[in-house]
Amino acid sequence: MNEHVEERMKKLLRQALPPMNSDAGPGRDLWPDVLRRLDVNLAAKSGASFSHGWAWFDGVLAVGIVALVAIFPAAIPMFLYYF
Amino acid sequence: MNSHPYLRAYLAGIFVPTLVLPILLTVFIVVRIVLKAPVPIEQGLIFPMAVVPLLFGLWNMLWLCSHKRTHLPIGVHGAILPLLMAPTGALVATCLGVLEFGPAGVVWFHACAVPYALIAPCFLAVLAGYYLVWKYIVGFLNRVLGIA
Repeated sequence: MNEHVEERMKKLLRQALPPMNSDAGPGRDLWPDVLRRLDVNLAAKSGASFSHGWAWFDGVLAVGIVALVAIFPAAIPMFLYYF
Repeated sequence: MNSHPYLRAYLAGIFVPTLVLPILLTVFIVVRIVLKAPVPIEQGLIFPMAVVPLLFGLWNMLWLCSHKRTHLPIGVHGAILPLLMAPTGALVATCLGVLEFGPAGVVWFHACAVPYALIAPCFLAVLAGYYLVWKYIVGFLNRVLGIA
């Protein structure tokens, strides 16, 4: 009697749980995706973008430089000399 | 990514002068070889080609070294550099005959006259340009390279 119940339990368990080999894991390596997501999060937190902290004051400075060069182009060699 | 931070700081620092250099060489080729203008540009190329990239790299290394103590923003740190470079560059240019001091102003390359009244605005523009370049380009590169 006990053996019969045991066999039945084994059969039911095999039916309920799929074999291990058929679901061993994803078909591809997920680690690169994890690293990519971590890099994106770190970049967002550290603000690694070109426009980080753009201020109106900086815009005024840029306009001033362009205006000076436009009004007085003889200063261009001096600017090039110092860059 | 934490190895060789000063090497990365140097490389981030020389990025901008290295980009500007081909523009200078293009101007030199067009003016001297194509247009055959009698302007001694080649004498003035020594400072931007040799000294400016070196100073940019070393200045960024200095920022990396001193930032933890001074907490100086990188834009302000970069804007200090012309205070060192302007007299050095003027001295080199004068010795090479690129810059001449006249009664009314200075003459660059025997061609571009800048009155003394415009020296201060031009210097302020250089300061502003350095501030923007260091804040946005060098600072961006430092963040990308993981040293900021």
